[in-house]
Amino acid sequence: MSITEGRLSRADLLKAGAAGALGLTFAGPALAKGMRIESTTLNMLTWSDHYANDQLKAVAKAVGLQGRPTLFSDNADAYLKIKQTHGQFDIVSGDALWVPKYHKDGLTTSFPLSEIAASKQLYSLARTFPFWKDGSNYMGYPFSWSTVQIYYNPKYVKVKPDSWHALLDKKYRGKISLENIPTDMMAIAARATGAKKPYSMSKAEISRAKAFLKEFKPNVLKLASQNNEVVRALADGSAWIGITNLGTDDRVKDAGGPVVKTAYPKEGTIGFIDSEQIVKASKNHDAFFKFENSMQQAKWIARNFITNGRPLFNEQAYKILVNTGHGDRARRQYYNEPENALKMTIKGPAGDEQAYVDAFNEVFG
Amino acid sequence: MEGMATTAPAAARGRSRLRGGARLAQYAGFLPALVLFGAFFALPLGLIVAYSFWETIDYNVVHHWTLDNYRYFFSVSTYIHTMWATVWVSTLATALTIGLAFPFTYWLVRYVRRGALQRLLLVLVILPFWTSYLLRVYSWLNILGDGGAINRFLQWTHLTDHPLSFFLYDRPAVILVLVYLYFPFAVLTLYASLERFDWDQFKAAMDLGATPRTAITRILLPQIRPGITTAVIFVFIPILGEYLAPQLVGGQRGVMIGNLIVNFFTGAQYTRGAAAALLIAALIVVLLVVFRRSLEVEDAYRA
Repeated sequence: MSITEGRLSRADLLKAGAAGALGLTFAGPALAKGMRIESTTLNMLTWSDHYANDQLKAVAKAVGLQGRPTLFSDNADAYLKIKQTHGQFDIVSGDALWVPKYHKDGLTTSFPLSEIAASKQLYSLARTFPFWKDGSNYMGYPFSWSTVQIYYNPKYVKVKPDSWHALLDKKYRGKISLENIPTDMMAIAARATGAKKPYSMSKAEISRAKAFLKEFKPNVLKLASQNNEVVRALADGSAWIGITNLGTDDRVKDAGGPVVKTAYPKEGTIGFIDSEQIVKASKNHDAFFKFENSMQQAKWIARNFITNGRPLFNEQAYKILVNTGHGDRARRQYYNEPENALKMTIKGPAGDEQAYVDAFNEVFG
Repeated sequence: MEGMATTAPAAARGRSRLRGGARLAQYAGFLPALVLFGAFFALPLGLIVAYSFWETIDYNVVHHWTLDNYRYFFSVSTYIHTMWATVWVSTLATALTIGLAFPFTYWLVRYVRRGALQRLLLVLVILPFWTSYLLRVYSWLNILGDGGAINRFLQWTHLTDHPLSFFLYDRPAVILVLVYLYFPFAVLTLYASLERFDWDQFKAAMDLGATPRTAITRILLPQIRPGITTAVIFVFIPILGEYLAPQLVGGQRGVMIGNLIVNFFTGAQYTRGAAAALLIAALIVVLLVVFRRSLEVEDAYRA
């Protein structure tokens, strides 16, 4: 049959389709192999504030390693994805005490930090976190940190909310925005209700934390899926209070919003120290070091700070920030005081994650 | 004759085999779809079913068969309450969508001349599809928010001196955005149905003394009922599983069941999440069975 005849029977169409499918099946691996010659792709399971698209492009150009990010919001989600997908991801980001859990469960592998030359640019404190040490190796590459605290708009909030309980005041009805991370919200409620170990609460403590969240719920405007939604709500005035990371004041200002102030609850708070880890089942361990060395250079980290506002562990980047007129901003966000990272309750896996998620859903459903 | 008698059944068997072979060949075309459907729908669905009967212990999915996930769902009033809220939000949003889409499509088909203008109007209806779903939902934050278009207009006209916050972060905002999102689906489905309708029957009914309302309810609606049912299915079912619109514009008061399911999955509670997701799927299957009768056009005149 000729195409010019303009008639294509169903049988011909099926035959042509089958031939095309077979052709692609056989040609696919060869094409993929051809593409791999040009560059290796590293699949990253990470947060959106760990990279910038132009940074990935520049790194790919410089070292021939293409980072392909997939986003997650909660550590538990990432942990289970790594557990179930084995070698599909090469790099996974993780918070504080999640890092030893990944390592203990055989999902990631530790490495000499010196393998990544950029580690010399880190604050010395970041190279010696005891909970990330595995003999002379380290379980992850230190990236950034932040406390999770209260930001408030002084135009509407006249008395500084220096306690989690201050947020239960009825005058803040529907005016508080925070990120939708059930485990962390339960941990904050744990701090508010005096639980000793916010991520390992007993049943009675979970019950008290749940009661606190129930009282808190009417004041919640929205549970945001991303941090930038909290910033937005503070910027447009729909939220008077945000429970969020360091740097939010600057980001709200950058978004054209009002001046917002920070308040540290007297019961204490939670926070994160995050890292980049090598997935044990990855076949690109060598590429990881080259890739991370390029990604973690001070110039990129300084730019990351300008965009995302929370402190990072790269000391050389701090010097760049100071030299480029961003020193005040960096100091205001405690960039040059990384020791503060160890004063908070650092994030980790919950003792009974199911009980945490159940309690959270039962309140916010 | 005897020879014929012996060869005839053999020939018949041969023809029957041939017909059997031809029948099989007819179905060969379905094979790719079958493989695709099996590998990317039936198999994952089977896995979800299995997960829903397993349990999660210390971030591990443990293959202990149990009904606990379902029992938990039905034993906590929050889930029942949120499920009902989801059903009524979906019902209301679907009713509003069809209620808006039907008169528009009726006008488009009946009163706009076929040709460039009708095509242009149809393109305008589907124009939002050219942008991403996320952007379309986000754009409503700019319209409904405290600093959004509506509040600015109200303040500009001095109808209020401060932003009104009830437009956003509540159920009405979710319903409004859902109607906006699913309006094109309803219009396209109804258009396909109304376009094929024989308007001479409508005119004949009017000639015989029917009022326009009677002609619509007795002549038009029964004949396009499958189209309306399809539009309802296309709108109601996706809304039932909506997660993003309530997340972005619903606030704490606009939570739907999809949001709670997401919490299970982000908290690594895959088994609980699977059970909740399957309960929604079961509800959808029940609704499809109910709707199935409405898709049979001859039923419209059976009574």
